[in-house]
Amino acid sequence: MTEETVPAPDPGPPDPLAPWPDTVRWQRVSRDLIWVELLRLAIGMAVPLVGLAAGWALTGHGLFGVGLVAVLLLGGWRVVAIVRAVGAWGYAERSDDLLVRHGLLVRRLSIVPYSRMQFVDVSAGPLERAFDLATVQLHTAAAASDARVPGLRPAEAARLRDRLTALGEDRAEGL
Amino acid sequence: MSEPVAAEPRRRLHPLSPVIQGAKSIVVVIAALSWSTLSRVGLGWFAAMVAVLVLGATVLAVVSWYNTGYHVVGRELRIHEGLLWRRTRAIPLERLQAIEVVRPLLAQLTGLAELRLEVVGGGKTEAPLAFLGVADAVALRERLLRIAGRGPHVVPATDGTAEPAAPPPPAGYPLHAVANRDLVISQLLTPQAFLLPFGLAFVLTQFLTEGVWSFIAVASTLTAMAGVLLQPARRVLDDWNFRLARDEAALRVQHGLLETRAQTVPLNRVQAVGVTWPLLWRAKGWLRLRLEVAGYSAGEPDDRNRPDRLLPVGDLRTGELVTAELLPGVRLVELPLTPPPRRARWRHPLALRVIGAGLHHRVFVVRHGLLTRQLVIVPYSRIQSVRVVQGPVQRRLRLATVHVDTASGSGAAAVDRDLTEAWAMAAELIDRAHTARRAG
Repeated sequence: MTEETVPAPDPGPPDPLAPWPDTVRWQRVSRDLIWVELLRLAIGMAVPLVGLAAGWALTGHGLFGVGLVAVLLLGGWRVVAIVRAVGAWGYAERSDDLLVRHGLLVRRLSIVPYSRMQFVDVSAGPLERAFDLATVQLHTAAAASDARVPGLRPAEAARLRDRLTALGEDRAEGL
Repeated sequence: MSEPVAAEPRRRLHPLSPVIQGAKSIVVVIAALSWSTLSRVGLGWFAAMVAVLVLGATVLAVVSWYNTGYHVVGRELRIHEGLLWRRTRAIPLERLQAIEVVRPLLAQLTGLAELRLEVVGGGKTEAPLAFLGVADAVALRERLLRIAGRGPHVVPATDGTAEPAAPPPPAGYPLHAVANRDLVISQLLTPQAFLLPFGLAFVLTQFLTEGVWSFIAVASTLTAMAGVLLQPARRVLDDWNFRLARDEAALRVQHGLLETRAQTVPLNRVQAVGVTWPLLWRAKGWLRLRLEVAGYSAGEPDDRNRPDRLLPVGDLRTGELVTAELLPGVRLVELPLTPPPRRARWRHPLALRVIGAGLHHRVFVVRHGLLTRQLVIVPYSRIQSVRVVQGPVQRRLRLATVHVDTASGSGAAAVDRDLTEAWAMAAELIDRAHTARRAG
């Protein structure tokens, strides 16, 4: 196996979400993930919104209205955040490790060597299935490892799963 | 019992086990019934309730003992248990991380021991075999370690007739023994011990001013005080006669006064070493070493069953000696720690000069903590994954935190490095992790 050398990043601040632009080919997740996340948000916000609206209608107290506006503002901000965050989510397969980056407010990049992989999870909830998406998650022995790639087409998810499993078996080592 | 043979039948635990389990339940039962029940129903009824419950527990223990068996099949340890819901656990010995022989006080009086296996991936300690004869337990431990392929080839001399205060010396060559005097002093130098006089004064003033001997009040106060003092007292009891020995490929740790524990950790299973300098120990120049082994889950409620002690107390020279044994070439005073850039002081106004991280040629080192200084050492070969995280404030300051995840414990985090340096560090760490693994 050839050693992939990682060149030191160029001086000056590169895009903090995309280090090593020369050697790493980042892949995006599907834009349909936006709809999944938005629907999740809508379901999550429905309960407080209905509650607050009912409270306002029944009592006419101004505080409920303020609460309603606050929740709506929060929801609006979340919508913007979701649309941008899905764009920020990316993964890259290098010869020895998987790179996953996500987050806008708190930016995270995980580097997980295939050899440390314990198992791969492919999951698709009802919302994800409705948009023909799946989530692949790589688990290592460390609970803190955070390599989750949502919003993949089922074919791509299956390909990634098979590739990860094959590479993991190739390079597997004990703890 | 005779030495087990290859194709062996199922073996039972020691016949005295249910008796000890029943006796152990007395404490639990009394605690569950609590002081207030005692004062409400009177001593006679209380004793009767305790007796009935303990008897019930003993009967259950006998039934479970009768249905429990273990044997080694190939490279697995199989444990069968259960009367109604039968359960067979097969423990693959390749995944064995550490073995511990625990001897609670009652077990010491009867010459028994409990064998605990730590297997990676287990949510809690797998298979506590409670109880076996001491000779059996030690023989089984050596056998399992040998099967695990990393066992010592020297079977230590085992005499099962150990007195409570003087367990047999650990095998291999001794590395270090902690003086009990130092241990007691070190635990007196803890916040809890400093609180003791205040607690006593509180109880006495209450007693003198009220002048009433109320059983519940006194008993509850004493219980509460015992709770505060529990940790230092436990540490002293647990770490009494602390001895470290080194076998060919394993580290043997032995300690305990009322409950002796003999732990065997294969050296290549050490995930990380933590060094702590508590504030109150600074005058003495003492430190404490902690060991992270995969399999000891953080989920266990009782941290006594999380035997991560490597050195309860010791000076720097001792710390160096022990560290060098685990991680050859690593010297605590000569670690290449570099501080974060000056602008990180906005996030750590006081602790900036304490914080540091560095890449040694075999290990990754981070240091933090202004008052209680802590150092975490992770060998490159034990790195599970690397993460770079940047929060909003860090983005303003062009800083990022590099996390190194290990299979146990919280890993190590190099906080607030310069962004460019953080990327370089992450790339270098992953690279070294690959190389270290390939080199074996």
